[in-house]
Amino acid sequence: MSDLAGFSRFARTYQPGELIFSEYEPGDSFYLIQAGRVRITKIVGDIEKNIDILQPPEIFGEMAILEGAPRSATAIALDTVKVLEFNRANFEILMMGNPQIALRLLRLFTKRIYDQKRRFMILTLDDPQARIADVFLMLHETQGPINQGAAELDGDKREFKVTVDDVAHWAGMNMADVQTILGHFSNQRRIELYQDKIVVKNINDFTRFVNSKRKK
Amino acid sequence: MPKIGSYRANSVIYFQGDQGDKVFVLQTGRVSLNYNDIETGKDIREVIQTGEFFGVKSALGRYPREENAVVLQDAGVLMFTVPEFEQFAASNIRIIIKMLKVFSNQLRRIHKQVENLMENTSAVSAEVGLFKTGEYYLRNRMYSQSRYVFSRYLTYYPAGRVAEQAARFMEASETALARYGDGKGPAPLAGASSGAHGPSSAAGAEAPKTAASGGQTLSDAAKDYYNAVSLLTQEKYQEALKEFKRIADASQDPEYSAKAEFDLGRCLFALSQWDATIQHYTAIIQQTPRHPDMSDILYIMGQCWEKKGDKARAQGFYKKVLSMPGDDDSSARIRAKKALNALGGA
Repeated sequence: MSDLAGFSRFARTYQPGELIFSEYEPGDSFYLIQAGRVRITKIVGDIEKNIDILQPPEIFGEMAILEGAPRSATAIALDTVKVLEFNRANFEILMMGNPQIALRLLRLFTKRIYDQKRRFMILTLDDPQARIADVFLMLHETQGPINQGAAELDGDKREFKVTVDDVAHWAGMNMADVQTILGHFSNQRRIELYQDKIVVKNINDFTRFVNSKRKK
Repeated sequence: MPKIGSYRANSVIYFQGDQGDKVFVLQTGRVSLNYNDIETGKDIREVIQTGEFFGVKSALGRYPREENAVVLQDAGVLMFTVPEFEQFAASNIRIIIKMLKVFSNQLRRIHKQVENLMENTSAVSAEVGLFKTGEYYLRNRMYSQSRYVFSRYLTYYPAGRVAEQAARFMEASETALARYGDGKGPAPLAGASSGAHGPSSAAGAEAPKTAASGGQTLSDAAKDYYNAVSLLTQEKYQEALKEFKRIADASQDPEYSAKAEFDLGRCLFALSQWDATIQHYTAIIQQTPRHPDMSDILYIMGQCWEKKGDKARAQGFYKKVLSMPGDDDSSARIRAKKALNALGGA
């Protein structure tokens, strides 16, 4: 990692349990972890859900680059956390001396743009069943073929650690409709519903289904 | 070293959907990136200027190419592998910064497009969301977290719909934190919040006044006051000090003048002006002996004397806090008890 000794004026320390920022707070800075782990959470219904656990030298809060956008999740220090805090005004200073960080940010933006485009593709499907099937295709693409063994079931079977809530969020639909459609898929034996996961029996079947519904 | 490639007019450097790990720079000729706009489906042709990079995102992110790169006039290109590109970029940081700007604009645009499609789902406003997040933490006895969230609420929405309630909940969080510590104590919020039109109006256990309904409008004095509190939570003590002084001097509304008088002292204390704090609070004690924040005033007086190294006087003030009538376990009382113990003797 590059030498960051000159950036002490951007350094912040958080104690375990301390909030770095809260979901919905307008964001104007982003963070580079130097020490300790950061938990990213979201309150869904009445449960605080873990989205991710980040560690050095990861970057978070980078969506602050979107002017005035509220934070989409909460960042909490899991250990004693040391970060460098930057905003739109001063991040160039950091980048100039630290190409590795600049490249990491570039890659992060690449991923964010791709993710958002993929989300957009889901939302443009008119058929609600196809939308939900496409959510699983998206998860399949991002989770990759060899993700923690989750996908290495037999043949075309894929397992996703998601809840109905998550699917509703990605599909931009309300919970009740998503519940109905998932129930329908389950009756057709295309998926299996569990408390903490959803198993798609044949991912290729979903691919064909979504392709047939996507307007050319 | 990047390789040099040359392409004839009308040939295609890569097709949409291809997997590719090369980043290109156009050196001579003309190349167009052709794709369909994801929103309108319209054909877009983006002509690349010489010296410009293309194919960066798909190569870096290992995604399928998102466009057809069509050669319009015989073209010479430089082809970088990802490691070569990274090595090159590391010594040409301006280029990365330029790309970051382009990418952040693209991100902004696509983000908007997604939001437009999402708008009919039940998204809560950021203001309500922030307040509810605070409520969640308070309800789950995560006091330091709820204190943070409510203080941020006051920072961003000092005249917000539920600013007064947020201030009360912040106070309740502080008190519970001092009294029980994180994760302990009785449930501070009764029931779950389920107001369809906004945050619940459940009263905090420590609510000093009767809880009003969430949507009440604030008087000008109240708005000014919460504005100043917001500055205080942002640790902008000098500015907060000025504001509190203005509100106290204007004495439009006796309730908020009194509050401002008290918070003015908190600013002085935060600015480490021990003598000025003592002087300010001594005047309040003399003029308004029944000030609603008297316990806190006495406690801060004790803190000032302790900072000045006068243990005996500090102890005197802490004992006064404990002898105050009323709320048996206000945060001032708990803190005074702790401070007394730390000084070695109640």
